[in-house]
Amino acid sequence: MKKIVSLLLVMLLVLTATACQPAPKQGTQGTGIQTVSETGESKQTTGLPVLSPDDPTTFSVWITTNFSAPAADNKLTKLLKEKLGVTINYEIITPDTADQKIGVMLAGGEYPDLIGTTDLNYRFIMGGALIPLDDYLTEDKANYLFEHVRPYWNRLATDAGDGVKRIYILPNYNRYYGEITGGTHYGASGFWIQKHVLQELGYPSLDNMTLERYFQMIEEYMKKYPTIDGQPTIGFEILCAPGREWGLTNPPQYLAGAPNNGGVIVDENNVATIFADKDIAKRYYKFLNQMNARGLVDRESFTQTLDQYLAKLATGRVLGMYDQRWSFGNAHDSLVSQGRDERTWVSTMPVYEGKTPYYADRDVMNINQGFGVSVSCKYPDKAVAFLNTMLSEEWQKILSWGIEGEDYHVDANGRFYRTPEQREQQKDLVWRSKNKLEALMDQLPKHQGTFSDGNAFSPGDQPEEFFETLSDYDKNFLNAYGKKTWRDFLNQPPENPVYYPCWNIYLDEDAQTVSQQLTDLALQYLPKAILADPSEFDAIWDEYVSAIRKVNVKVYEDAINAGIQERIRNWGGGR
Amino acid sequence: MATKSLAQPKRKKTVWDTIIAQRELIIMSVPLLLYKILFSYVPVIGWTMAFQNYKPAVRSIWKQEWVGLANFAKLFTGVNGERFIKDVRNTLGQSFLTLLVGYLGSISLALLLNEVKNIKFKRIVQNITYMPHFLSWIIVAGLVSTMLAVPTSGGIINDVLIRLGIIKESIMFLSYPEYFWWIVAFSHLWKEMGWNSIIYLAAMTSIDPTLYEAAIIDGANRYQKMWHITLPGIKPTIMVLLIMNIGQLLEAGFEIQYFLGNGLVVERSEIIDIFVLKYGIQMGNYSLATAAGIFKSVVSIILISVANFIAGRIGEEKLI
Repeated sequence: MKKIVSLLLVMLLVLTATACQPAPKQGTQGTGIQTVSETGESKQTTGLPVLSPDDPTTFSVWITTNFSAPAADNKLTKLLKEKLGVTINYEIITPDTADQKIGVMLAGGEYPDLIGTTDLNYRFIMGGALIPLDDYLTEDKANYLFEHVRPYWNRLATDAGDGVKRIYILPNYNRYYGEITGGTHYGASGFWIQKHVLQELGYPSLDNMTLERYFQMIEEYMKKYPTIDGQPTIGFEILCAPGREWGLTNPPQYLAGAPNNGGVIVDENNVATIFADKDIAKRYYKFLNQMNARGLVDRESFTQTLDQYLAKLATGRVLGMYDQRWSFGNAHDSLVSQGRDERTWVSTMPVYEGKTPYYADRDVMNINQGFGVSVSCKYPDKAVAFLNTMLSEEWQKILSWGIEGEDYHVDANGRFYRTPEQREQQKDLVWRSKNKLEALMDQLPKHQGTFSDGNAFSPGDQPEEFFETLSDYDKNFLNAYGKKTWRDFLNQPPENPVYYPCWNIYLDEDAQTVSQQLTDLALQYLPKAILADPSEFDAIWDEYVSAIRKVNVKVYEDAINAGIQERIRNWGGGR
Repeated sequence: MATKSLAQPKRKKTVWDTIIAQRELIIMSVPLLLYKILFSYVPVIGWTMAFQNYKPAVRSIWKQEWVGLANFAKLFTGVNGERFIKDVRNTLGQSFLTLLVGYLGSISLALLLNEVKNIKFKRIVQNITYMPHFLSWIIVAGLVSTMLAVPTSGGIINDVLIRLGIIKESIMFLSYPEYFWWIVAFSHLWKEMGWNSIIYLAAMTSIDPTLYEAAIIDGANRYQKMWHITLPGIKPTIMVLLIMNIGQLLEAGFEIQYFLGNGLVVERSEIIDIFVLKYGIQMGNYSLATAAGIFKSVVSIILISVANFIAGRIGEEKLI
């Protein structure tokens, strides 16, 4: 007995001793200034460590994205390992659960090496999770990254609470190089309508669209086809899943001819006010209430999750919804991969009378999205070197187009193109997980626009390639409307106001609480109002408005207005 | 040996003697004690956050700004307060209902199974009913949401009710606030009924069989035997479990409310934990979250003490 006990004790002691031992010190890595690497190789031009297979590195990478992690035998994963010695451990979080995951990470204070996320990076910056990158962002260090942020320095630099503005994150989308081309505007909002509806109705003009006419088209089609593939046809779907509540709350501003500023409309004096309790909102929801009474609104809209919403869209029986193009991309791709192009959607832009549609804006650079290097990263210089290398044209082409000869070809004029087989395999989701790094690419800084050789950043943006990849159905559809691209279905965006858009203004804790309270009220009252008997609508609306009155809206509006003024003063100008 | 110990004068046993006599047991329990201290008591230091304006960027909790009871004021007043108090009500309501339905369900299942004489049938029923216990809540929530949907989305319940002619049009169960507590209670019943009945079945096996024989001689029928012998026989078990569960009243689960709750039913579905997640952790307002956590712990301690006291009063087993 005693022997056993003492044995146990010894084991316990050994265990605690090993657990308490400090982790072995990592060998100090070459700093950015060091110009000769440890192996005595030649001078580095970037002033950052050279990534090579001789010195393998593993990065833990945290990504908020809708894309899934690449397959284990992914060919680009292998290429990264062969050429750069880089292995990536993915942790992928879908946007609807990112909020709380970030909260937990910040509370814990332990982070993966690279953090790439959407819209919530301010929380990482304020929470002290990211290191400032200013020291690396110079011509002789991270040269590509420097060029990426140089013109927009003032916009990107953020004060993390210590009074100094520094750059912490590298924007992932809409930092354009050269000429902007492209057939699809992924940021586009719209009241989407299924192509087959328009085809059935003889391709009616979509100009001067109104809510009345939009729903009339849906109703007419529903009468003709009460079921699609044996399942009941769904007229109008409303997106209001966690994280995408804007699907419910944003439309009134577009109907009133204003661009997407989140929860506020900004007047000509640059003063923002919320519109949730105004007449433009009441009119929209009242209209939906009437449409619901006529059976055009899916009553399940308000109880489903994002996945259920997307799954429903992917069945092809949803005729219309308000959404943004990127947000339902999965459902769109799924329909295309089934060859059911006629069940995908084009955008229409209904407005109230006398208003001009402002659904499309100039592509806004995502200043609060993308990768940052965490304070837990042991080799920040290597991490920066990795991001920098990825932004080189060579790697951008690999990540976006693929490998020359395998995934695309180059013609005599130096133009990139794909063969029909290569185009076909791009639609296959399984093939993509084996041959592309979509999740990583989603957050990496991108060379959008055109490369120095004149080719577009991605096949979808290469004009001849865009048209060639269209299915016959889509070609006919575009011809019927006399348009060349999906972008043509949107308004010509005017120059964005300097402060635009308000939805990415940083809010302090109090303003954030109010914003959350407003969203919660909308989620609580609007579905009720829409589903109610039309005679009860006004009563529920009044309840909603008086609930909004109780919330300290001024705190929120003041925070937004302060942000607008700050941007008007400081934005514009780079280094 | 024996004569030697007999020869020693008998002295009074001290605490040290007891400790030395039980040294093996004590040594073995030390790791568990340390474990408890480390994971249950050390984290309580974090409660200081509730009295601070906690910012994660300032890593040390001693360098934060102290704000007194401001976080508690935020929690219980204004728009937040209204919501939080509603959430406390929802948490208690859902828990009580779950507890009640769960108890009735698992005790009656145990009683009935105890009467089944066909061992094979008994085993099969037992296995089927306790299997759902091993599913994770998130899967159960998914199942429940599908079962309660409209028939075209796979809603079995609506389908059955329509076919039976009980309802004409499918009911959107998840959009009526008044159904929500029941949905939570019955989901728990479905998942845990079989598992919870095992402990009662075990208790029933320890009832003295002669009691049943005596009852038969006295002319008791089956129901009378259940009522007068089986139930009183498992009463101590029921009481102990009840006291333990009352301490958990403010833990109404989380996944099912989180997954199935939506804007339409939020007034009945949102519980304290979801409030904490939404207004605390998601916004980085850790102080508010901690304040809510302290409130929860204090109420739970009060609840369990009261339940224990009452149990002692009515002459039942006391847990502590």
